[in-house]
Amino acid sequence: MTTPQISMESVVVGRSARMRAVFEFLRIIGNSDSTVLVTGESGTGKEVTATLIHQNSRRRHHPFVAVSCALFSETLIESELFGHERGAFTGAIKDRPGRFELAEGGTIFLDDIDDVPLSMQVKLLRVLQNRTIERLGGTRTVPVNVRVIAGSKRDLKQLVNEGKFREDLYYRLNVLPLTLPPLRERREDVPVLMDHFLGRYFKRRNEDVPAVSDAVRQAFIRYSWPGNVRELENACERIAQTCSCGTVRIGCMSASILFRAGSQPAEVAPPVTPASDTTAPISLDDRLREVEANLIGWALKVSGGNKSRAAELLQIKRSTLGDRINRCGLGAADKSDGQPAGAVQLA
Amino acid sequence: MVSRERVQGVLDRVRPFLQADGGDIELVTVIGNSADVRLTGMCAGCPSAHMTLHVGVEAAIREEIPEFETLRLA
Repeated sequence: MTTPQISMESVVVGRSARMRAVFEFLRIIGNSDSTVLVTGESGTGKEVTATLIHQNSRRRHHPFVAVSCALFSETLIESELFGHERGAFTGAIKDRPGRFELAEGGTIFLDDIDDVPLSMQVKLLRVLQNRTIERLGGTRTVPVNVRVIAGSKRDLKQLVNEGKFREDLYYRLNVLPLTLPPLRERREDVPVLMDHFLGRYFKRRNEDVPAVSDAVRQAFIRYSWPGNVRELENACERIAQTCSCGTVRIGCMSASILFRAGSQPAEVAPPVTPASDTTAPISLDDRLREVEANLIGWALKVSGGNKSRAAELLQIKRSTLGDRINRCGLGAADKSDGQPAGAVQLA
Repeated sequence: MVSRERVQGVLDRVRPFLQADGGDIELVTVIGNSADVRLTGMCAGCPSAHMTLHVGVEAAIREEIPEFETLRLA
């Protein structure tokens, strides 16, 4: 299995303190052989992270095998991971090594570990404890020297509490836990990632990156990116494919990003924490007013302009809401569509 | 039968967004539950912009006027 070459230096980290912390952690655990549990929503970069860990470890000259546990049915996954002997089941016409054996000396990335059925979890636990596997239908115990990185889109601890994930396996996996934040929680990284991906896709077309209009940048920052970095990358690819006039304008974006920009309360709020290297003073009062205006705008929109209902949503008195609307200068805006002045929002 | 005022109301809400990027949208006519609009300014001649704005503006109108049928770009 081939993997793209990624070095620590080539990865776009961004300005956010959270991603810097993630990368610091990656550096520290590079030479360890311990199991890593990477948790993050779809599109946050779990596999990129796993590749990065492998390539910065002393196992880098050995295979990196990535396998999505969600891809296989309950019966297939065992044969996929541990292999099978000829005749083990109908259709097993020859011996076949599993992914663990293929990763010998290297790293195996078990993505979507949260989708592994309970019956299989106990088998995985045994492998992690004993570092040996048995092929399906085989009697031989094969020792394996493999570093395990598990990927999960859900909080495994939560699944343990719900009885959907074995507690013993959870502790076995959760040796070096790493959480990748969703993009909406590190909005300050959006411009950096945007420039990076636009650069990549325009380069593929042998073109220079054209100027990007402010309206596009603002929409990118406001959008909530439910598909995270993967969605942002695809949005940039689309722009590179469709922009033909020499400037990236709102028309080059997909309608869903443009028109859903900032449609949820927490996501309308601008990043509250400035980058750690910023030394410029920041007015706390102004920032708080911004947050307040955004939340009031959201409540008014959701309530269809009904201030009593909006006050309930915000858990404040109706009269207090009136005062705050005036204080934030939202008086004019809430008459039309309940949006705070300056919040560009269509749908 | 959708009134011209209601469609115009949605377009007025959409307009500042287009204007921020040097474009504009004008309502030509409303026939039955459908409307014809014209894109002007920046993006007016760009095929991909037509696609984006057509889909987006139509969705914005439908959200507010559920019985709205088709948005045509004149």
